[in-house]
Amino acid sequence: MEEPISRYEKIDFLGEGQFATVYKARDVKTDKIVAVKKIKIGSRLEAQDGINRTALREIKLLQELQHINLIGLLDVFGQKSNVSLVFDFMDTDLEIVIKDSSIVLTPANVKSYMIMTLKGLEYLHQNWILHRDLKPNNLLINREGILKIGDFGLAKAFGSPSRINTHQVVTRWYRSPELLFGARQYGTGVDMWAVGCILAELLLRVPFLPGESDLDQLSRIFQVFGTPTEEIWPGMKTLTDYVQYKQFPAQQLRHIFSAAADDLIQLLESLLALYPPRRCDCTQALMMPYFSNKPAPSLGPKLPMPSNVTKIEVEKPSLKRKLLDNIDGGSLAKRLQF
Amino acid sequence: MMPGRIGHLPIASENPLGLSWHDSAWIPSLNPSNIMDYFSERSNPFFDRTCNNEVVKMQRLSMDQLQNMTGLEYILLHVQEPILYVIRKQHRQSPMQTIPLADYYIIAGIVYQAPDLASVLNSRILSAVHHLQCSFEETMTYSKYHPSKGYWWDHKNKTGPFNVGQSAPKEVSSAPKEEPSTLFQRQRVDMLLAELVRQFPLPVTQTAANQNGVTVKTENTNDKGSEKPQDGSLNNITIKQEPMDPMGSDMTNGMQGHMEIKTEIKQENMKPPPEKKPRT
Repeated sequence: MEEPISRYEKIDFLGEGQFATVYKARDVKTDKIVAVKKIKIGSRLEAQDGINRTALREIKLLQELQHINLIGLLDVFGQKSNVSLVFDFMDTDLEIVIKDSSIVLTPANVKSYMIMTLKGLEYLHQNWILHRDLKPNNLLINREGILKIGDFGLAKAFGSPSRINTHQVVTRWYRSPELLFGARQYGTGVDMWAVGCILAELLLRVPFLPGESDLDQLSRIFQVFGTPTEEIWPGMKTLTDYVQYKQFPAQQLRHIFSAAADDLIQLLESLLALYPPRRCDCTQALMMPYFSNKPAPSLGPKLPMPSNVTKIEVEKPSLKRKLLDNIDGGSLAKRLQF
Repeated sequence: MMPGRIGHLPIASENPLGLSWHDSAWIPSLNPSNIMDYFSERSNPFFDRTCNNEVVKMQRLSMDQLQNMTGLEYILLHVQEPILYVIRKQHRQSPMQTIPLADYYIIAGIVYQAPDLASVLNSRILSAVHHLQCSFEETMTYSKYHPSKGYWWDHKNKTGPFNVGQSAPKEVSSAPKEEPSTLFQRQRVDMLLAELVRQFPLPVTQTAANQNGVTVKTENTNDKGSEKPQDGSLNNITIKQEPMDPMGSDMTNGMQGHMEIKTEIKQENMKPPPEKKPRT
């Protein structure tokens, strides 16, 4: 047990969540910067399985997943009664980028973020896993401009027809209408809706549907997309928490997203379809014209970085160089694209 | 540069120089501070909504950010109170470098695209040439020729003042009355024609190739037909051509050998030529 602790050299305190404390550390063995997530023991109820459930989920799922756009679980080690997870170190996340008003997100940047998100999510869905908590805060970005989906604390396998899921997932603003109506059986649509909300937020730079309660959330959704009828959404009234809403007319998305080109509007409409089966999946989304039309997505190093990250980069150009060399094939391919 | 940029403006992409746009609700309140908002109205065909201005506006950022972006943008280039504004569409390469793409002027609230020099020259030259051609065509309709008089200008047959735009094609349809030829001329020409017909018989190959027993009757060949016959005296020449041997029609070849041309010339009133008419 002594060996792993000495392997990771604590550099900085990064943050504290409900279940864990996160530190920035250096892996002595590989001289790589990593993030160490130290799981709190939590209450007796939470720890009845021996370990916090969200941590268990992350360990269980991430061990088997390997994709450039998913956060990599590098190591897990125990120390006394604590469990720590070692992840790729990520400099920032999409929420910080969106909130930084000194950054302009060009159409090319938005497209780049969307491609990386959808590719990671496509891999996840192909492995029958729902993320269930997609939001800008969980889309992590490193200084090479690579976006990785993080925080698998709510992720779960899906596809079993008999399994009943909880609908209390996904941060409210990114929660799909079927979850808000209390659906217990759902699929990839819940993640796709969240991606649609994130895309909208990238365009508007403010949360697209910031509901103050679950009821208000549905009301905001219907104010934009129109209150669905039984024709638009068959079986809507059979959902557990169905409530009759006032009839709102649908708005034109092109009026809300005034600078968005038609192909982008098409993607938005497809991601944010009210009736879940009509929502596209990741593969369909990536095949849409938006991703092959101009402008080409920004390359990783050209994506904007919040000011605090750029500063570090200027101070330690050698480190960036080293990191770039570490991702060998990736950086080479990018250079070829020029 | 931007996705679907070409597809957005189907009307404007054809020829934006022929377009104008305005929104009468805005016109009374236009001023330098809201003129860009007016120009970026959704219905304005000159405004490309994928431009950087709209991106910055949609992201609720400061317009100062435009300087740091690259790509398409619109700027207010010139203001001349109270009614003239000039807006430029340009491609920004860097904070210091831009390439102008087009200028738009808003005069009394109506937006037009300022034409480029090539279009102006093209249009001016085209209209100059067009008017020159019209004037020549017009002039030609006044020019008259008569064998006995030569060329002269005739302004009498024209009714009313001349309308440049429509006259040329119209005048053709209303054929002016022509002076009848003199008797001398008619007879002399008839004689000459008859002589020519005798010397060079009309070819009969056409007749042979056609059908059997067809009669080709050519009457009144003394003019091109533009001259209407004034009286019966013009029909004094009749040329008739018909196959001599009706039985030969059974044969498919060698018909020409059986054919003859019967040329009959009737002439009346052979008179000596009168004096030449004095010119009017």
